[in-house]
Amino acid sequence: MKKNKILLLVNNKSILDKIDNKDVTFLFPLKDFSIGFQNYYKIEDIPEGGYIFVNKIMDNKNIENFKEVLNNISSKIKGIVFDDIGVLNILNNLNINMKKILFLNHFNCNYESINIYLNYVDSVFISPDITFLEVKEILDKALKPLVVYTFGYINIMYSRRNLITNYNKYFKEDAKLHNYLEEINTKQKFIIKEEKEGTVIYPNKPFNGLELRGLENVLFEFINGVFLSDEEIIEIIKAKDNLQDKYPYTYLGKEQTIYKLKGEEND
Amino acid sequence: MIELLAPAGSLERLKIAYLYGADAVYVGGYNYSLRANAINFSKDELEEAVNFAHNLGKKLYVTVNIVLHNKELNGLIPYLEELSKMNVDAVIVSDIAVIKAIKDNHINLEVHVSTQASTLNYEAALFYKSLGVKRIVLAREASREDIKIIKDKTGLDLECFIQGAMCTSISGKCVLSNVVTNRDSNRGGCAQICRWSFNIGDEENIFSMTPKDLNMAEYLEDMIKIGVNSFKIEGRMRSVYYIATVVLEYRFLIDKIKNNTLTLNDVKYASDIMNRCANRESVPQFYDKLPTEDEQYYLGREELSNQDFLGIVLESNDNYTLIEQRNYFKIGDEVEFFGPNMETFTVKINKIYDEDKNEIEVARHPRMQVYLKLGKVIPSYSMMRLKIFDKSSYL
Repeated sequence: MKKNKILLLVNNKSILDKIDNKDVTFLFPLKDFSIGFQNYYKIEDIPEGGYIFVNKIMDNKNIENFKEVLNNISSKIKGIVFDDIGVLNILNNLNINMKKILFLNHFNCNYESINIYLNYVDSVFISPDITFLEVKEILDKALKPLVVYTFGYINIMYSRRNLITNYNKYFKEDAKLHNYLEEINTKQKFIIKEEKEGTVIYPNKPFNGLELRGLENVLFEFINGVFLSDEEIIEIIKAKDNLQDKYPYTYLGKEQTIYKLKGEEND
Repeated sequence: MIELLAPAGSLERLKIAYLYGADAVYVGGYNYSLRANAINFSKDELEEAVNFAHNLGKKLYVTVNIVLHNKELNGLIPYLEELSKMNVDAVIVSDIAVIKAIKDNHINLEVHVSTQASTLNYEAALFYKSLGVKRIVLAREASREDIKIIKDKTGLDLECFIQGAMCTSISGKCVLSNVVTNRDSNRGGCAQICRWSFNIGDEENIFSMTPKDLNMAEYLEDMIKIGVNSFKIEGRMRSVYYIATVVLEYRFLIDKIKNNTLTLNDVKYASDIMNRCANRESVPQFYDKLPTEDEQYYLGREELSNQDFLGIVLESNDNYTLIEQRNYFKIGDEVEFFGPNMETFTVKINKIYDEDKNEIEVARHPRMQVYLKLGKVIPSYSMMRLKIFDKSSYL
């Protein structure tokens, strides 16, 4: 199996001392510009060679603030992974020596779109919302090496609303911490995480795409460390097999989604 | 000039939207449209829709707004070329592959970026402008300040939602439906999981994320001032009655703004009428603040239906008006007729006649045709509803 480099989104910095960074690039959720994580990092907290993760959908105020960050960014930061197309436009107009990688959560589901974005950035995350076969076809047809989501919790909903705070206010409860949701009919469980500028939901189990390791035309195999312990991360990085028994959730990797539905009029 | 843009899930609804005052209508075509369970338009229907619109001097936009997977790339260019040949006025898109296909193949189609692209800042808008995009449908999360800055810094046409359902999530950033039901939210299969009920922690209260609908009636004038070009009504799945009611009320409000005669009472009356015809309460959402606990529902699906919509006028003359029944009504009911190019008026039903002109007491069968004597001629496609609100009490 080809050994690709790993891009690890850092949950706790303690992991840095436990992993050989020869094969791993560390990605840090940037304070004030990312959402849905347990820990955030300022530029000064990030070690030499680190990448920053910027997944907030930005309003004009955010984008102006982020321009300031970019204008003064330290040369120790070697890469940026971002979601907002506004950031792409800023980076296009800046002479900045960083690897630019477009995240664009839930988009990037076909090779044509990805190849278009590759005119503007160094690499693109392939969406985890597609089958493994689709991922492989995209890698075959991509004009530059891409980033493949291989393990971790997936952000499946991002709202600008303060859903928990609003709930607490409605029921006049004192800021209770609610971390979990369970859908009443299907009993499916979710992690819910509210922050000042919005709320994010994850499934309560990590996505296992380890069978996508070792493919050609890959810049990074991505592991999202959020909600994972250092020990779990190390186990995943070192795993020889795909850990299917321990982590069986492959999300949509092996099943096409349904979208052609017969409708009914609702007069 | 501000545009009133209405949705339509069928030719009937499209015609209603135009007749009731929409300047433009958006529909799903036979491919690549995000409302997979709306009744999207066939090729023949699209051609008829374009002709109908253009004969009225109005516009038709077609949504091509799914997030494409590899296999959907095949056939995309011929489809876009067909839409161009039909002379549709614009396509609404979210995937950059569609934008580039139009540009690189010199397909004569105006491009509007869908709200699915979550555009909330001017830098993103400038990127799309560089690709030749003419209009951005802003994220529903855009505040007044955001809209104004994007307009001032880009000069692009801006389209903003003014009425209808809200996603809990930033549009395009939710795959709850994919996870729970395997139905693809970004390819038209959204199962609206955010409107389902959840247990939260160990609480007994049911947690729900359901947003109330959007209603921007009170901010229309301000939105025009800051440069919004198009007022968009959500709801390709909505009924003819909903579309007629909402389009008519917004047409009325916009015309009053143009005439400088709009009053708060006009806004209040229109909002009451629109709230009643939807099955959820509608309120402003992100324009002036972040939504609070007042802009959501918390105890499951608090959606109320009613039977206010009584019938649709098929034809009318000095003696009789033929009505197709949509809900039960009877002699003695106080009803209102509203429609295109007419004043809304109230009638107390004294007599109902069946198709053979025999007197009957009630119209109880769905879509049965009955005659009423109204003493005046009213336009086809006018509608009859139960009278709930007395407009004179708002004066």
